[in-house]
Amino acid sequence: MEPQFNESNFRFNNTAKTTMTDSTQRLARRDFLKSSGLALGAAAIGFPTIIPASAIGADGSVSPSERLTLGHIGVGGMGGFHLDRMVAFAERGRTNVAAVCDVDEKRLAGAAKKTGDKAKPYRDYRYLLERKDLDAVVIGTPDHWHAVQTVHAAQCGKHVYVEKPACCTIEEGKAMVKAANDNKIVVQLGSQGRSQRECYYAHRYIANGNIGKVRKVTCWHYESPADNNPIPDSEPPPGLDWDLWLGPLPWRPYNARYCPGSFRWMMESGGGQIRDRGAHVMANALWIMGADHTGPVSVEATGTLPTKGAWDVALKMEVVYQFMNPDWTLTWNQPGEMVPYFDRERQKALGIREGYGAVYHGDKDKLVLWVGDSQAFTEEKAIQWNKQPPAGAKDVHKSPNWDHHEDWFQAIKNGTKPVSNVEAGVATAFLTILGNLSLILGRKLNWDPVKQEIVGDDEARRMMSRPQRFPYVL
Amino acid sequence: MNTTENRTATLLAGAALGLAAATRAADAISVDDLIAKIKSTDDKVRGPAWQSAGPAGAPAVKPLAALMTDPNFEIARSAKRALYKIVRHAGRPGAKKEALAVEKELIPLLKSDAVPVRREVLWMLSEIGTDDAIAPMAALLTDAEVREDARCALMRFPSKKATDALKSAFAIAPEDFKFALAESLRKRGQKVDGYPSQKLVPTKQTTVGQAKTS
Repeated sequence: MEPQFNESNFRFNNTAKTTMTDSTQRLARRDFLKSSGLALGAAAIGFPTIIPASAIGADGSVSPSERLTLGHIGVGGMGGFHLDRMVAFAERGRTNVAAVCDVDEKRLAGAAKKTGDKAKPYRDYRYLLERKDLDAVVIGTPDHWHAVQTVHAAQCGKHVYVEKPACCTIEEGKAMVKAANDNKIVVQLGSQGRSQRECYYAHRYIANGNIGKVRKVTCWHYESPADNNPIPDSEPPPGLDWDLWLGPLPWRPYNARYCPGSFRWMMESGGGQIRDRGAHVMANALWIMGADHTGPVSVEATGTLPTKGAWDVALKMEVVYQFMNPDWTLTWNQPGEMVPYFDRERQKALGIREGYGAVYHGDKDKLVLWVGDSQAFTEEKAIQWNKQPPAGAKDVHKSPNWDHHEDWFQAIKNGTKPVSNVEAGVATAFLTILGNLSLILGRKLNWDPVKQEIVGDDEARRMMSRPQRFPYVL
Repeated sequence: MNTTENRTATLLAGAALGLAAATRAADAISVDDLIAKIKSTDDKVRGPAWQSAGPAGAPAVKPLAALMTDPNFEIARSAKRALYKIVRHAGRPGAKKEALAVEKELIPLLKSDAVPVRREVLWMLSEIGTDDAIAPMAALLTDAEVREDARCALMRFPSKKATDALKSAFAIAPEDFKFALAESLRKRGQKVDGYPSQKLVPTKQTTVGQAKTS
């Protein structure tokens, strides 16, 4: 049974019910091709299908056309979850985990062990990128590394699965899109809510007009934590390469409040709940609203910052994003008004979290989508409608086996766009970046969604980039 | 303009003058008050103080910078955050005079003995600095402790003057720093001979045991 990862507490639960049934775990090649073909017609990227050398069966190994040779960069937290899943895929002949990389030696040793010491360990990801036998990389590092490592991997011809949010600055996001397209690689962002069954149900229900025209989407999420016990800077723990951990960030002394696990609560390396869960909940909103290739025209944030401690992200915040043509409003409310899940028994049985989600307000009705990351749950009316949709109902992207990793595999194999493709991931990250930027500048920002730049504010425009520390540059 | 409009305009002008004077008085008071509160060891006093420091403006810059080296790291951190509040308040559209006044106070701090002050002031100037800040910032491209921050901060300046400053620094830089400057210059469209990009050159070996099989 595969491990399941609960982002809310960073604990693995090996006894939890797996998201994949036994039958889907042993997915027949015929079924794989069938499901792949469906998506090919729907979303061809327009560049030649890329079938990696190791995936064409030259070595005569088992099911080679479905096997990717992978390197994992960053193997703690979500990176560890991805590694466990790819090792599980390897057992079914779908992947070959050939390299693992981490700046923490202890964590790295543990990761190598998970692969039965088959994967070669690296501290410096650039050694891993030099390997010609790797088809793809899975990036599970802290946020400030996502863009630089994605761009470098793309420039080395590797497909990328990278954790969300995509980038920390506007400049980084644009560089990611350019690198992916220039090098014809497939990037899947870790906004895996889009691959969940009930997110698909909600999307399809709304796309078929069941709640009318949607003019407002309101997200809710509980507050960010405060650093109530600040500690002074210190020497980094043995085995941690602090220079490599910082990477593109300006140099500063180590502080245990940065890592492990707490980088999210620093503005420069994480950005708080809006960037963590916002990159799930708002990614779903852009997808459902058909707005992956656009953006707001204005962003205005207010919030409450912590009074002390190293963590500097907003405890509470409200952000209003105004979109035009079509006109609609997206709000991020932290905490906002939590909507209780409607079925307490089901909630208890499935461990449904209700601490975050979004309400889609149509002119005829509204629909709630709870959670939206490794879980997604919607209302009964949407579930029932999807069980028997009317003839001619419009369909939307459906990830194979409701599995985000498999959606990435399929896109690589078929040369199609995955559901959380790089443009979509960057568009979502831009929402989170602009929200935080508006908050720290204390003013409304105007945004040109076509040029993807801030308008009429020189300081904010300069902050669209944060030049990286050499040599960890785009 | 009729009589009523004249009277309204006079009243509004009078009110505006009174408000400006009151604001100046409030600012004059608020700097001392702000510094006193930032020095507090009670975060319930210190926290709201740095969070509302923005309007304190240029007069608060030097006293806050002095507190950035306070032995109490929470006071030092609060002073730094208050300074960023001031910079970002002054950087708002339509407040050019305030931004210039803040810049004028920040520039001398680039000569501070304290590395954290030089480093943070470089980044503050990267947000609101004018061309006047470029030469003093570029002077720190020879400062081994903050030269990388200086290079990054200058990259946020859109002007040719910043490119010229990077070029001049490249000409005299030690070999190990030329690669970083070359990266910057290329990014700004300059041709640089030699010193190829190092971004994909791995340098750090792990001590974790190698694979049994491949």
